[in-house]
Amino acid sequence: MLTIALSKGRLAEKAIMLLENAGYDCTAAKDESRKLILEDEKAGLRFIMAKPADVPTYVEYGAADLGFVGKDTLLEEGRDLYEVADLGFGKCRMCVAGPVDLKDGKLDLIPNKRIATKYPNITRAYFEGVKKESVEIIKLNGSIELAPLIGLADCIVDIVESGRTLKENGLDVIETVADISARVVVNRVSMKMKSSEIKPMVEKIKEQVALL
Amino acid sequence: MIDAKFYTADGFTDTLPGICAFKKKTEKELEKLYRLHGYRQIETPGIEYLDIYSRPGFVPEQNLYKMTDQKGRLLALRYDGTIPAARYAAGIKDFDPASLPLRLCYIENMFRFADSGGGKQNEFTQAGVELMGADGADADAEVIALAIKSALSAGIKDLQISVGQVRLYDGIAKQLGLNDSDKDAIRNAISSRDTVTIEKTCDQLGLNADQKELLLMLPDAQGTYDIIDAFRAKVTEKEALDALDNLKDILDALDEQGFLKYVSVDSGLLGGSVDYYTGVIFKGYTYEVGFPIISGGRYDNTVAVFGRQMGCVGFSLSLTLTLTALLRQGVSMDETPCDVVIGFKPGFRGKAYEEAQKLREEGLAVILDTTGKSKDELNEYAVNQGIVRALYVEGE
Repeated sequence: MLTIALSKGRLAEKAIMLLENAGYDCTAAKDESRKLILEDEKAGLRFIMAKPADVPTYVEYGAADLGFVGKDTLLEEGRDLYEVADLGFGKCRMCVAGPVDLKDGKLDLIPNKRIATKYPNITRAYFEGVKKESVEIIKLNGSIELAPLIGLADCIVDIVESGRTLKENGLDVIETVADISARVVVNRVSMKMKSSEIKPMVEKIKEQVALL
Repeated sequence: MIDAKFYTADGFTDTLPGICAFKKKTEKELEKLYRLHGYRQIETPGIEYLDIYSRPGFVPEQNLYKMTDQKGRLLALRYDGTIPAARYAAGIKDFDPASLPLRLCYIENMFRFADSGGGKQNEFTQAGVELMGADGADADAEVIALAIKSALSAGIKDLQISVGQVRLYDGIAKQLGLNDSDKDAIRNAISSRDTVTIEKTCDQLGLNADQKELLLMLPDAQGTYDIIDAFRAKVTEKEALDALDNLKDILDALDEQGFLKYVSVDSGLLGGSVDYYTGVIFKGYTYEVGFPIISGGRYDNTVAVFGRQMGCVGFSLSLTLTLTALLRQGVSMDETPCDVVIGFKPGFRGKAYEEAQKLREEGLAVILDTTGKSKDELNEYAVNQGIVRALYVEGE
């Protein structure tokens, strides 16, 4: 029996489609009820529905053997996991964004910037680790674009897909921090103790991804 | 006004009766096991100077419990068994090289800020051995075999030991001419089995298909002799070939003891937060816990940091994780309060003392009723508490 951690939403739908195409019976996972654990004993699969940010935690502790999760969550949570496949979908970028007049190196001229973000760990690692500068990070939980508009922060670090929300608010991408896409993660112990189940599954998932 | 805290500190917990008895029994068995293999137990202080742990490559400073002494010097709570043992071995005054190798073992509680999210225990018990001043595969295999015996003796039945060699990757990196930062980037990707990043990095570096294939074998290869042969066909660097010889010799030695069934080679095992390993490296896994219960390897440069060159190999077994695994695997650690409860009719207390003492000398756990129960009350009490035998003293 393999336990798979998913987070409700588009990522889960795509992950389930991928698994079905790979030959796994995921009828259980398509249950529209509000159950959090969906088990199919015959297929040998158990799905747990978690918050996206919690998927790496379930997998790290071994409560789930594997999980489907965005690279943004993995970077932010910094959990000790095996990251075995890039699913190629859910593609976007983690970016530093701000008012258009901060482009072309002007952002670097602001000392002790204030940065608003949902991703404080990624932000800290990028500015302190890569850019070697001190910053003040303001953690917000949504509508991050508001912060530079209202003067709460100089710029933001956030996920950018099309960039439309930014444009409509007079903001633009200034720098790219990382490329993001959906990943398959595996618990380190499960990889050993259940390798006869997990390895073929990962291989089949990779085959399906190559077909996309 | 802060309320009095009647709960344990974050990351710390009580070991409850029953589990505690099981743990102590296991500790005794492990002490005996190590003694039978010629290892001598040591106790190192619970507090060390911070300095011994905070050397480069040892322990990230934020993971240590720190405090100061009266003179303001920085101290740290015991973080592991290996570094204090290395400090001790380097400082032995009447050191006699002819007495090597040194065989040390310990069973101690370790203190770590392990996880900012909480949930992982910050205090846990480790049992471990250090074989110091010994080079070569026989020493490596001795320690791995002892790790296997430790887990089995603690009651673990489903055990998987993964064995890797950090010098295999070092040699391959040399063969491919990787610079230090590329080598580190690929090492991290191999450690997290992130084949996507390995491929991307290979493409950026302009490595050819053969070279890429060799790097991609590292995170993926699992097996025994077949893996060693597969690498031997591809590596040319002496360091990597030596690493493969070492792995083969270790497998041979473990096979001669009938332990090969527990062991597989995992070429993607390259060390992690502690990177003092210089040769063989191994981890032990079982069902029902998401973290390895055994961790060990060769550390040839660690004692030298404290001033004496010694090739060493050791391991530690987390007793705390092992007990968690056993409980989840359904092992019962229930314990009855005692074997016999003795009550007595007023006036027969002396006789009751006598009876209790006799039974204790036979090795039974006996409690004497101190609440003046009647015969019926005593029997009822014994039944309710799961005590097998009730004895009521009412005559000579």
